[in-house]
Amino acid sequence: MEVMAKVAFGVYTLFILCGAIAAVSANSLVRALVGLITTLVGVAGMYLMLASPFMAFMQLLIYVGAVSVLIFFAIMLTPAQSESEDNRPASMKKYVYSLAGAAAPAGVLGWVVLTAKVDSTAVPVEVGIEALGHGLLGSYLLPFEIISAVLMVAMSGAVLLAWEKRGKK
Amino acid sequence: MSALTLYQIVALILLSAGLFGLCQRRSLVGMLISVELMLNGAGLSIVAAAQLTEFDAVLGQLGTLFVMGLAAAEATLVLAIIVVIARRFGSARTSEITTLKD
Repeated sequence: MEVMAKVAFGVYTLFILCGAIAAVSANSLVRALVGLITTLVGVAGMYLMLASPFMAFMQLLIYVGAVSVLIFFAIMLTPAQSESEDNRPASMKKYVYSLAGAAAPAGVLGWVVLTAKVDSTAVPVEVGIEALGHGLLGSYLLPFEIISAVLMVAMSGAVLLAWEKRGKK
Repeated sequence: MSALTLYQIVALILLSAGLFGLCQRRSLVGMLISVELMLNGAGLSIVAAAQLTEFDAVLGQLGTLFVMGLAAAEATLVLAIIVVIARRFGSARTSEITTLKD
C-alpha cells in the first residue's frame, strides 16, 4: 500500500473503532445510533479503498439512508423510558460474561486470520458496474428475485404486525 | 502483514463488538444496533476477500449486496416487532418482557 492509502486506511479504521465502541457502550440509544452511523460511513470508506465504489454508494444509500432511519423510528416509537437504558449500571457478572462471549470467537477467528497463508494481491481487482449488472440479471438472477420477494414479504409483514384497527383503542 | 489480513482484522473487530453489544445490551433496539454492526463486519470481510484474492470479485460484491438487502428486511421486521412489544408491555427492555420467569 502506498503512504496515502495507509493513512486513509488508518483514518477509516479509527472511524470504525470509535463508532463501534460508541454503538455498544453509549448509555443513550440515540448516541449509540450515531456511533453506528459513524461505523457505517467508515465501512463505506473501506469499500472505496477496496476499489468497489458501487458497494460504497450502496452502503451509504441502504445503511446510512434507510436502515438508520428505521432504527431511529424504533427508538422513537418505544416509550420514553426505554430511550435510555436503565440508569443503574449493568451487573459486573453480565459484563464479564459478555466480554468472554465476544472474546472467545474473536480469539479463535483472529488466530485463524493471523496464521492462515492466503495468496492475496496488494491491489484490489477492478470490477466494472456492467459486470455487476450482468451478474445480477444473468448468473445470479434467482437470488436477485428471491431477495426482492423477501423484502416484499418483510415489508408487508411489518405493516401487518404494526397495523392498529381504527377505533379499537 | 498483507492487506487482506488487515481488512479481516477490522471485520473481526466489528464482529466481536457486535457480539459484545448483543450480550450486554438491555433493550431490543440496542441489540438491533449490535446486529447491524455484525452484518457490516460480514459484508466488509466478504468484499475484502473477493477483491484481494483470485476469487470471482463479482460474486463477492453481489453477495454483500444480498447481505445488505437481508439487513434491510430484518431491520423492518424488527422495527414492527419492537412496536408490537412496546405496545403490549409498555417497554422494550429485555428484563420486562420475559414472562416465563415469573
